Amino acid sequence: MQKLFGVPITQLMVILVVLFIVVAVITGIIALRNRVMFKMAVRNVPRRRAQTALIVLGLMLATLLFSASLATGDTLSRSIRTQAVRDLGQVDVTVEAADRDPSGALAYFDENYFEKIRLALSNDSEVEGVALAIQESAPVVATATRLSEPQVNILGIAEEQNSGFDRLMDKGGSVLSLGSLRSNQIYISSELSNKLEARPGDTVQVFLGPTPVALEIAGVYEKGGNPAGKLSLVVPLKKLQEFDGKVGRINSVVITNSGGWIEGASHTDAVLSALGPLLEGTGLEAKPVKQDALDLADQVGSTFSTVFLVFAQFSIAAGGLLIFLIFVMLAAERKRELGIARAIGGQRGDVIRMFTFEGAIYALLSAAVGSVLGVLIGWGMTRIMAVAFGQMDLKLVFAFSWRSIIIAYVLGMVLTFTVVLISSWQVSRLNITRAIRDIPEPRIQRRGLKGLIVAILLPLLGLMLTMTGLQSEQLAVFMLGTSLIIIGVPLLVRRFGVPDRAAFTVAGLGLVVWWLLPVGALDPFLPEMQQGIEMFFLVGIMIVLGAVWMVIYNSDLLLAASVATLGRMRGLSPVLKTAVSYPMQNRFRTGVTLAMFSLVVFTLITMAFIVSSIGNLFNDTQRLSGGFHIRATTSYANPIPDMGNALDSSTVSANAFEAVASFSAAGVEVKQEGTNQEPVDFAIQGVDRGYTDNVTYKFALTAPGYDSPQEIWNALQNQPGTAVVSSMLVPTKRNFNVGGPMPPFRLEGFWMEDETLPEVYISATDPRTGNEQRLRVIGVVDPMAFYTQGIITSQETVNRLLGQPTPSQTYMFRLKEGQDAKTIAKALEANFLEHGFQAEVMADEIRTNAGTSIMINNLLQGFMGLGLVVGIAALGVIAARSVVERRQQIGVLRALGFQKEMVQLSFLLESSFIALLGIAIGIGLGFGLSYNLVEMMSDSLEGVTYHVPWLNILLVAGIAYVASLLTTYLPARQAANVYPAEALRYE
Amino acid sequence: MFEGIRNSAGSVGRAISAEGDSPIGTIIQATDIHKIYDTGRVKVHALRGVSLDVERGEMVAIMGASGCGKTTLLNVLSGIDDISQGEVMIDGASISAMSDRQRTRYRAEKMGFVFQAFNLLPVLSAVENVELPLLVAKTKPSIARQQALEALALVSLAGEAHKRPMEMSGGQQQRVTIARALVNNPAIVWADEPTGNLDSETSAEVMDLLCRLNKEKLQTFVVVTHDIAVGRRANRILRMADGCIVEELFPA
Repeated sequence: MQKLFGVPITQLMVILVVLFIVVAVITGIIALRNRVMFKMAVRNVPRRRAQTALIVLGLMLATLLFSASLATGDTLSRSIRTQAVRDLGQVDVTVEAADRDPSGALAYFDENYFEKIRLALSNDSEVEGVALAIQESAPVVATATRLSEPQVNILGIAEEQNSGFDRLMDKGGSVLSLGSLRSNQIYISSELSNKLEARPGDTVQVFLGPTPVALEIAGVYEKGGNPAGKLSLVVPLKKLQEFDGKVGRINSVVITNSGGWIEGASHTDAVLSALGPLLEGTGLEAKPVKQDALDLADQVGSTFSTVFLVFAQFSIAAGGLLIFLIFVMLAAERKRELGIARAIGGQRGDVIRMFTFEGAIYALLSAAVGSVLGVLIGWGMTRIMAVAFGQMDLKLVFAFSWRSIIIAYVLGMVLTFTVVLISSWQVSRLNITRAIRDIPEPRIQRRGLKGLIVAILLPLLGLMLTMTGLQSEQLAVFMLGTSLIIIGVPLLVRRFGVPDRAAFTVAGLGLVVWWLLPVGALDPFLPEMQQGIEMFFLVGIMIVLGAVWMVIYNSDLLLAASVATLGRMRGLSPVLKTAVSYPMQNRFRTGVTLAMFSLVVFTLITMAFIVSSIGNLFNDTQRLSGGFHIRATTSYANPIPDMGNALDSSTVSANAFEAVASFSAAGVEVKQEGTNQEPVDFAIQGVDRGYTDNVTYKFALTAPGYDSPQEIWNALQNQPGTAVVSSMLVPTKRNFNVGGPMPPFRLEGFWMEDETLPEVYISATDPRTGNEQRLRVIGVVDPMAFYTQGIITSQETVNRLLGQPTPSQTYMFRLKEGQDAKTIAKALEANFLEHGFQAEVMADEIRTNAGTSIMINNLLQGFMGLGLVVGIAALGVIAARSVVERRQQIGVLRALGFQKEMVQLSFLLESSFIALLGIAIGIGLGFGLSYNLVEMMSDSLEGVTYHVPWLNILLVAGIAYVASLLTTYLPARQAANVYPAEALRYE
Repeated sequence: MFEGIRNSAGSVGRAISAEGDSPIGTIIQATDIHKIYDTGRVKVHALRGVSLDVERGEMVAIMGASGCGKTTLLNVLSGIDDISQGEVMIDGASISAMSDRQRTRYRAEKMGFVFQAFNLLPVLSAVENVELPLLVAKTKPSIARQQALEALALVSLAGEAHKRPMEMSGGQQQRVTIARALVNNPAIVWADEPTGNLDSETSAEVMDLLCRLNKEKLQTFVVVTHDIAVGRRANRILRMADGCIVEELFPA
């Protein structure tokens, strides 16, 4: 993986490591100058080993999430790299004709060019070898078994020129020599051998043209055959030229750089530069195939890391809160010692330093544990992903890089250290007398000048952000600004005597209502605003803050309600009363824990809602497939000139079909007119009348004057120069993309959310002929149209642009009622074998794709569920701390007649109270936000329905609750076993 | 000052009420109790063969220097702590033979506690603190609340029922503790330094209250104290040293 959030990963690592070193050096110098404080900090660490272990575990969770996300990215990146490299082998650069055949095949050129290239690079130390080759694709049938493969890569190479490239090797590691082949012999790959069940000595028929060539298998190779890939066969170049009728011509020159398979790619730029002048004006171009493959692999890897990090941000935020909570509780435990330290002359700074030193030690340990455990979690996640990607023929190989571990470590360390600094500053503000006598801090908040300044500045900052958001039309900035005003107001009004309960309840309610306003409620008052994935994070934080305020500042009502209802059970009454009183007394702790729990549950529930609401769409195969059942492709080497005739003369009954559609494709250069876009290479598809008359795809956006989807499809066919585009090419105001690959060509100047499509023209140019065609975009296809990509126009328009008829290579078939798609697809393949006909049942393809998406979504949910560990750990920390803090009170309760079980139950109920409240808040907010999200999605995606994922909700709530009970069980047991006589002595 | 020394060590015989009330019978009977704290490296012999009898309705003060074993004696007599050797009979039942569960129930039903540091639950209001022992004994919540309010009235805190401990003075907190100790009408009230955290004026008020309740309700009070003024209010003083009762005094 090379980039994260668009920043080169090495650069990111260097910045973080430098930051780490600077902080470490400063901390070290301060420690040297404050040895006593440092000594105290160091000695505090092993004082209570179990507690230290708990602290380290609590602090490591954020680092773990970083590390797991990065390990996932590394794995994806490495796996795709491995696959790409395996297919390309030693080939780093290929020289091909710049323009392909109209059919899409590689164009042939004179093999003399090879000599020129070889000579030019012969003294280049960065080049290991240059070879000439022919790369074709054709159907192959095994004569004995009659098994066939419609698209096999055929590689023609000259062994004498093949130095520096991979040799063909059989399973036993012996080299297979092309020179030893007789005239009709070939080597085939082991994968092809398995598929055809063909062995050495067997014959295969290769359909390089309408008439097959019969060739004998001389051997089966395990390795080599690059860059033809897994399903391939290798023929001596001269033979292939003869079979193909292309004597003296080739279609590629392959170059291998010096260095290994991957390292060699680093010389690519130099090789391209060396080739530049040589290829100028020849119609040939050098392609950095290896580098491109590696770049793509890295892009996919970093996209996955980014997605996981974006979705983990709530858990990371919760992890930050946990670190804060742990330190505040640690300070509470040390209160008396700190008070004494201050009483004998220690400054506030000394307290801060002592805590910072101790925190730094914990942070060093926890970040180390977290980054290593994160790799383990990443391993687990990739095991699950391996199943999902297995369906897409990508074998996942677990990998992690040291750079990622270092980044995760330093990120975790920096986050922990920052929170430690803030909490150290917070805890240093103690009252010496109260600390020494262990008297609780009074409820009345400090209302000094600093507080007043914050109370005034916060709404002002909010106002500024609100205005900026309005001007820049950025919804996130606007909403953040307005929220700061809502948050600032209670801070201000309580200074004028408004009770906390009223101030914070109103503000909390305000935040929740403001962020959960129905979709479109603000539209009449606001300009059209843009929003991105950051909105999800903001809305989560704000509504959770609001809800927690409301609950915490009205806790007495909750307390009364729960005691009034459950307290009627006589045995439960005293236990319940103590259980719910404690969390309500410690508002800060309870609030922070509630916030953690609610945040994580909220994200899980919202995610479940989205998946469930969209999930239904994938069941609507009719909508996704455009009303067709089978999609097929043919070989460009031997296309079917007229599908109608071909079907008539086939064994498949014409009565099986209701409609047949064909597609042709053309690689052209496109740009949007009226913009300063540079022309980019892009494929446009031409569809025939069979498609436009029968397709059922609808449109998300249409040009004025078209009243129905069919009118648009008719116009596309009847009015040359019109086109429709897929939704991927259109910008959206609600851009929730988190770094996935974007198409090279995109339209601009309008939004997916607009009412109608303005006049948009695309200029398409055929680079071979220089022909230009102006295309008017008259519709944007439904985003759920699974089988539309890019720009679609009529075949007539494509032919006009290319200046010649283009054969169709893709077909779609709609079957009559009662026909079995699988059977027909197989029959079609058998009938059109020589055309390399490969047919897929569209419903199966959609299902496989949906299955992969669902699995990835589930994995994401599972990953976000790791955040639950944070909330649960917080409960564990609180419970463990409470046992120590309340030892004496436990003794009193036991003296008063509380049985051991009652004490235990009281602790468990206390945790249950917080966990259930957190779960309830999370679920409630999840319901609220999901309703809005679904409304919003249904604006641009017809068919999205609000669907409550009851099972997921029960599962999340159940797991969260049971896990929190289990975590509290040990401390609760410990509390129950507190010996009353000792506890009463305890101070 | 004192009526006289009855016994110098070992078993302490029947006590006679200072007011001359006739005894109703022995409620606490301890025989040769030893308590050894074993910390692994060090063994501390906190009680060394203490025997004593306390009569029903009697108020006994246990006094002595710090570390002499007063609180340990109170803890083992009340069943809060185990004994290493010997036997404690409360109202005819051997507390040392009871399981933890039985002892806990016994405490809930028959005993009340007053502590030096008040030991009220800070998260509960005064009335909630007082009603807690009743709720533990499964009294109906409405009745428990009623009785708790009455107990608070008895200690003159009816108006402070809904205050949290932090909002009350030390004397008020101790009176809440006394109300809590008495609310379930226990046979014995154990008080560990009940005036230890109070000024002399408030101490006198609290002792007045304890003596009045002792007299009115005829409950047995065992009071551990440093304060000679508190000791003087008891029917009998047992002075301890090095884990033994070394003196028995009867204040005049």
